[in-house]
Amino acid sequence: MDAGADEPVFESAAQLPGAGRVPPEAATAPASARELKGLIRDWRRGRATKKLGEAFSDGYVVVIGALMIGAMVINVILKAQRVVAQCTAASCLSARTILPWAALAGAVAVALAASRLFGPVLASAAEGFWLLDTPVSRAKLLGARLVAAVVVAFVGGAAIGALISALTGSGLAEVLIWAAATGLSGAGAVAFAAAQQGIDRHLLTRAATYVFGVLGIAALMIVVAVAARWTSLGLGLDVGGQLGVVMIGFSGLVLIASIVLARIRLGRIRRTRLLSGGALVSGISGAFYALDIGLARDIVVERRAMEIGHVKPHRGKGLGVEAIMWREWQRLRRFPQPLFVVGGTIVVPYAADALGMSTLTTVFSALALFAATIPLLGGLRVLTRTGGLARCLPFSLAQIKLASITVPAVVEAVWTLAVTPAFVGLGDSTTHRDLTTALLMALATGAAGLLGAVRWTQAKGVDFGAPMISTQAGALPPGLMTNLFRGFDVCLLSTFPMLLGGSPFWSLAIAAIAALILLNSWDAESVRARQAEQQKLLEASRKQRDAAKTAAQQRKR
Amino acid sequence: MAKRTTVLKVSGLRRAFGPNTIFDKFNLEVRAGEAVALTGRNGAGKSTLLRCIVGADRPDDGNVEVCGNPMRETSPEIRRDVATVIDDLDFFPDLSVVEHLDLLARAHGISEPDEIVDEVLEEVQLVPQSGQLPGTLSSGQRRRLALATAFVRPRKLLILDEPEQRLDTEGLTWLAGRLKTERQGGLAIVLASHEPSLVDTVATRVVELGTARG
Repeated sequence: MDAGADEPVFESAAQLPGAGRVPPEAATAPASARELKGLIRDWRRGRATKKLGEAFSDGYVVVIGALMIGAMVINVILKAQRVVAQCTAASCLSARTILPWAALAGAVAVALAASRLFGPVLASAAEGFWLLDTPVSRAKLLGARLVAAVVVAFVGGAAIGALISALTGSGLAEVLIWAAATGLSGAGAVAFAAAQQGIDRHLLTRAATYVFGVLGIAALMIVVAVAARWTSLGLGLDVGGQLGVVMIGFSGLVLIASIVLARIRLGRIRRTRLLSGGALVSGISGAFYALDIGLARDIVVERRAMEIGHVKPHRGKGLGVEAIMWREWQRLRRFPQPLFVVGGTIVVPYAADALGMSTLTTVFSALALFAATIPLLGGLRVLTRTGGLARCLPFSLAQIKLASITVPAVVEAVWTLAVTPAFVGLGDSTTHRDLTTALLMALATGAAGLLGAVRWTQAKGVDFGAPMISTQAGALPPGLMTNLFRGFDVCLLSTFPMLLGGSPFWSLAIAAIAALILLNSWDAESVRARQAEQQKLLEASRKQRDAAKTAAQQRKR
Repeated sequence: MAKRTTVLKVSGLRRAFGPNTIFDKFNLEVRAGEAVALTGRNGAGKSTLLRCIVGADRPDDGNVEVCGNPMRETSPEIRRDVATVIDDLDFFPDLSVVEHLDLLARAHGISEPDEIVDEVLEEVQLVPQSGQLPGTLSSGQRRRLALATAFVRPRKLLILDEPEQRLDTEGLTWLAGRLKTERQGGLAIVLASHEPSLVDTVATRVVELGTARG
């Protein structure tokens, strides 16, 4: 390409801009991490427009509100603790002994899963660009992040342990023991994951996540079995507290060993690994700011797929809409984890029945199934979130939706059969029903869970371009708050007749109407499109009439 | 010579965002074997026009017909006849590159899609990435996959929004040759492009949108 007339011409390299300048020599003693952090802190403080006290004083309504709500919550927990502590039935005693274990296992599983997803040590893009590339010790820069992650896990775990222990009627000493044990276990789990992150391995973390998840579910099932009098525990009353103390010692050792290992390996964590966790946090926080939980989930799903990266391709089957159904089945076989989650919810109606809450069984089960079904509907989510992929397929939107939910619907049908005995009533003190009624109730509950998940999955993000609605909390875009309740509404509405003791046919009728609306393209967006099209046709015919009228008037003249 | 059938008919199309009219009373007729290139500066309304034509955006006025049928994005007949490559194409995060193309071909009723899928994968140079999940593809590879989706299925009208984006020189040469062959084979094409070599090779007509900058 010829140089343009306006471009400067350089006869030698010496004339190039910047020629003759040499890069600064590497410093023999670069700044320390502490100095850099101090510098950044000074800059930030220098730009602050308010002191912490002033910010609290400005937000006094929020502070007082939080204090009042916190006091009310603690009061409710203490009252519940006093009531439950008086219960000496086998179900209460088994819950008091086993549920803190379930909470501990659950807290560790959640801490490990979150650690694997986010890092647990992470850095923002700005830190990655401006700090991590400098010759400053990366371990020292990231040390505070590791401590913060461990502290958050400890506080969260301790809160869960204390809450579950208190709600099962344990005394103060046991509550403190289980708070410490669960907190230390959560913190140990995060430190362990950080130590694995340092050597870029995740297999042990992943395996531990599943092991503790299964242990948590197993502990819950034991509680249910004891409550239903299928088995007895045969443990002393004080054994829970003693085991808790043992657990404190064990998890404390794991925490110390893991944190030392993690600290040694901190400087070896790759920059991309640190930044991907930071990017994930920023993406998810953006989605939550818009209360778009679907988008937050999409970000996590995309991130997991990127981690897997490559799969062994499988040839499809079937033609037309069948091809979509077969692909859904293949996707489920490739990543069957959602199936295990749905399988785990089978325990919910049995647990509710065993604990004497048969009235609420339908609501609890539908809500649990709703949450568990969402990961099964990944195909529906992709096909409905933008319309780009659906436009490539030669089917109506209703056909695409039906094809996408066929496999999940079959899974829900199996779930229905598996939970029917729970609706028949197994315990001595529960409501007993005939098999047909129980089957219909299970079917209505399964339909409620599936349709709730379909509604949640199809939710569009909030339209910030639409006219705002004036509220006492300021201007809000339409749909911002209702997005939070999507799916829950269908679950609750469908199970409401059964909650009141009505016939399951009412619930099935409500579910059928919901299915017609959700799957037959009668959703709000399609209705608006059709209205716009009809409006356009009306406008066109009005114009034609006007033109004909004008022509007739001209002819008369 | 036999008269070629009209595949796309756009009449009196109007789209405005508030007081800013993007285009008004826009008419266009594209017959089988014709390729119309929409050119013009950034913001001239090329992408908006294409989005209105494929039904991804709603025009304020005017009509779009494909093969004599009014354009409705939800109509299976329209989806069968129109292949589009615009910016809103999405991918299944857990299906590989080749599985996306296989699914699309089967959905369009191609009973033995292996041959055409392999051929298109070869053409878009995604054979080494055939087992990769879309999230791991580079932006250029994702663009090639998007283009591949248009070529593994039957089509009467092909609509492309700046298909040259993120393609290297080799990819651009392939695309120009492929589109020219498709046009000569009787396909109607509408494309928005900033790439003169692509427009010169493919287009039988050029429509410039917007006015030149002062």
